[in-house]
Amino acid sequence: MKPALKFASAALVVGVFATVPLWGSAVLVQFGINALILATLAQSWNIIGGYTGYPSFGNSVFYGLGGYGVAIAMVQYHLSFALGLILGATLAVLFAFLIGLPVLRLRGHYFAIATLGLAEVMTAIVSNLEIAGRNIGLILPLAKGDALFFELSLALVVVTTLTVAWISRSRFGFGLIAIRENEEAAAVMGVNTTLYKVLAFALCSVFSAVAGGIHAYWITYLDPGSAFDVALNVQMIIMAVFGGPGTIFGPILGAFALSAISEILASKITSLASIFFGVVIVVAIVFMPRGFADLIQNFRRLGWRYFQENLKAHRV
Amino acid sequence: MDTILEVRNLTKRFHGLQAIDRVTFTLERNQILGLIGPNGAGKTTLVSLVSGTLQPTEGSVLFEGKPIHRLAGFRRALLGIARTFQVMRPFPGLTVLDNVAVGALFGAAGSARQLAAARENANRWLHFVGLDHRARQRADALGGPDRKRLELAKALAMRPKLLLLDEVMAGLNPVEIEEVITVIKKVRDQGISIVVIEHVMKAIQSLSDRLLVLHHGEKIAEGKPEEVLRNDQVIAAYLGSKRR
Amino acid sequence: MQLLWQILVNGILLGGLYALMALGLVLVWGVLNIVNLAHGALIMLGAYACYYLFTGFGWDPFAALPAAMAMLFCLGYLIQRCVLNLVIRAPMFNSLLVTFGLEVVITYLAQFLFSADFRTVNPSYAGANFSFLGATVPLVRVLAFGIALALTVALWLFLEHTRIGRAIRATAQNLVAARLYGVNPRQLYALTFGIGAALAGAAGALYGVVSQINPYIGAGLTAKSFAIAIIGGLEKSIYVLVGGLFLGVVEALTALYIGPTYTDVVSFGILVLVLIVRPSGLLGRTA
Repeated sequence: MKPALKFASAALVVGVFATVPLWGSAVLVQFGINALILATLAQSWNIIGGYTGYPSFGNSVFYGLGGYGVAIAMVQYHLSFALGLILGATLAVLFAFLIGLPVLRLRGHYFAIATLGLAEVMTAIVSNLEIAGRNIGLILPLAKGDALFFELSLALVVVTTLTVAWISRSRFGFGLIAIRENEEAAAVMGVNTTLYKVLAFALCSVFSAVAGGIHAYWITYLDPGSAFDVALNVQMIIMAVFGGPGTIFGPILGAFALSAISEILASKITSLASIFFGVVIVVAIVFMPRGFADLIQNFRRLGWRYFQENLKAHRV
Repeated sequence: MDTILEVRNLTKRFHGLQAIDRVTFTLERNQILGLIGPNGAGKTTLVSLVSGTLQPTEGSVLFEGKPIHRLAGFRRALLGIARTFQVMRPFPGLTVLDNVAVGALFGAAGSARQLAAARENANRWLHFVGLDHRARQRADALGGPDRKRLELAKALAMRPKLLLLDEVMAGLNPVEIEEVITVIKKVRDQGISIVVIEHVMKAIQSLSDRLLVLHHGEKIAEGKPEEVLRNDQVIAAYLGSKRR
Repeated sequence: MQLLWQILVNGILLGGLYALMALGLVLVWGVLNIVNLAHGALIMLGAYACYYLFTGFGWDPFAALPAAMAMLFCLGYLIQRCVLNLVIRAPMFNSLLVTFGLEVVITYLAQFLFSADFRTVNPSYAGANFSFLGATVPLVRVLAFGIALALTVALWLFLEHTRIGRAIRATAQNLVAARLYGVNPRQLYALTFGIGAALAGAAGALYGVVSQINPYIGAGLTAKSFAIAIIGGLEKSIYVLVGGLFLGVVEALTALYIGPTYTDVVSFGILVLVLIVRPSGLLGRTA
């Protein structure tokens, strides 16, 4: 597809989405908000995980910091929502720089585990903080109505995706991809790998934090478990990987596809819904490990052999 | 004649193993220095110390008169030092063209800031090394000799002042070796100073202005190729592999 | 002083169990290069297996332990043979995500089958204590500690001194060479994962005796096992003893001197620190 056509169709889709609160049912709008927030998380993970190749299992920290930023600002200091978002985002960026520097020196699964450890530590720390309401959490002031949150979430996804689009055609993004493909070679060729990695980490922290802030205000309640939900980490990764890591639209597709599947399963088979979800994940990783985007690209060429090829390449 | 690279008393120890022992030498601008020695002599280690992949235990490295041995690898790249790797390091998922474009984007002088300009740049370097026909292929699909060409193109796209080549000729047939020699000479003619690590004796003889011989991490000889290769110590170090 | 000694004893007893918890994870990681996010879920299954043998058939929990191990071994073998063997040559990241999928399946299957209620395994001697150099020691905890220690040593002996154990270690180091010696990777991998699952099952059975269980404990136990594994060091399975004991004691001390709600902060904080400063673990050699 020509870039102009792509851009036009994307704009059209966004436009259509923006009208959903006008005609959609309450359930649809709520599903939309959840899916849009997850899409933002998947997309921002895409920056550090998909493009830079550092699979972070700790983005839930940024999400939680965003949520608590809003909660603390509004509940303890009676500031506005916007200021709360700024506070949350600032906390997240600070964290990304301070903790990012030492942790980004680790590779592959060590980095993954370190970020997972950080997610656990932050949950535990915050559940001991008085200002955050300890284990009990905080209750936020009642919000204006789902439509507002829908548009906010939609705007956030758009901004995040535009950023990713910029990354994919900028020198910065090229550097990130080089780091992912071969970090030592990238360094030898003049890429300031440390700076680039930390910047990527900081970028994804901002979007994740804002997502967390919006979510917190929307459900008007926050406690350490739900704010720093460690399971959320894997969820956003699955969505990004399912859709296609390192692509512009992959994570969004993945987020919506998996959210939809999850909703449909939940409404049809309730208790077994999650089980099927797990099965879907396993099957997807085995047969289409590079996500939907790759599947679409190569299915035309290979047809059903695409799945066979993946299997052959990865089995014992 | 001015000195572009000066190495003084460079020493590198790994957990008690002495890899490089008080090596000192200089390289004049626009010259080709051949770095030879038996396997395990420390040639790649020496090059890594100059490029910044490794940090020295003792001693110093000066580039254009300024000390660089404490600088990170990427900063030395920005100053104008480029190297190829013996065990090649392509960006596997990227096309051959984009592999070289990384060099054009992030290298030293004349680095393009826009992707389009960088790719154009990269095309020229692919042509220079003879890889244009593979520009759109994935880097990991390349065979041995083409991979070496790619390594070279990546380094050249950085517009370096000093180029460190690590066994670019290994595994090539005599025709290909001749091609590489021609290319390296063309590179030198563009004003780039070169350090070449090689095992192919005939090639390194015809290519180098001067030779430096390493053995067990120590410099055992330095000078004009004809003299160095007649040196008794050098012959003893190689013992039999001199004749090609 | 008395209190400190009691805390230390508690910590060491807990540490033994911790070591067993992480043992299966380390084995699978070292041999198969699989980071098993479903590890905690397997522990949870072992606990439930023991629970149902105890309440359903009246088996003494410590007698039920081998049965739980056997069941988990079969499950693990099947999981590896049918699912994980399919992604073993993919980037490690893929196996991470697949095991996450398995964790979801196992957890919600357990929720469906066993309900979300909290349960404990309460044998008649559950409240029995005895005194050890002035500290009160619950009988079940000592038994758990003893078994955990025995299994850890048993695994080490198995890997060092039996033919199969050596085949496993050889495959971990060099698959091509091992193949030349007649090793069938499919079976060997399945066997290894089965052993890892069996060890998780044992840890679960013991866990059920000393603590409450519900279907959701898996994720937390996985995270904890990671901490134990990394802190001890991944090089040799026996290092997990150090990780376990260290963390057990540290958590007990933290609960006493800082507060019980801070144990996770300290445990995972140490995990992150170890990764940053000394990734090979307390015992591992720095690369």
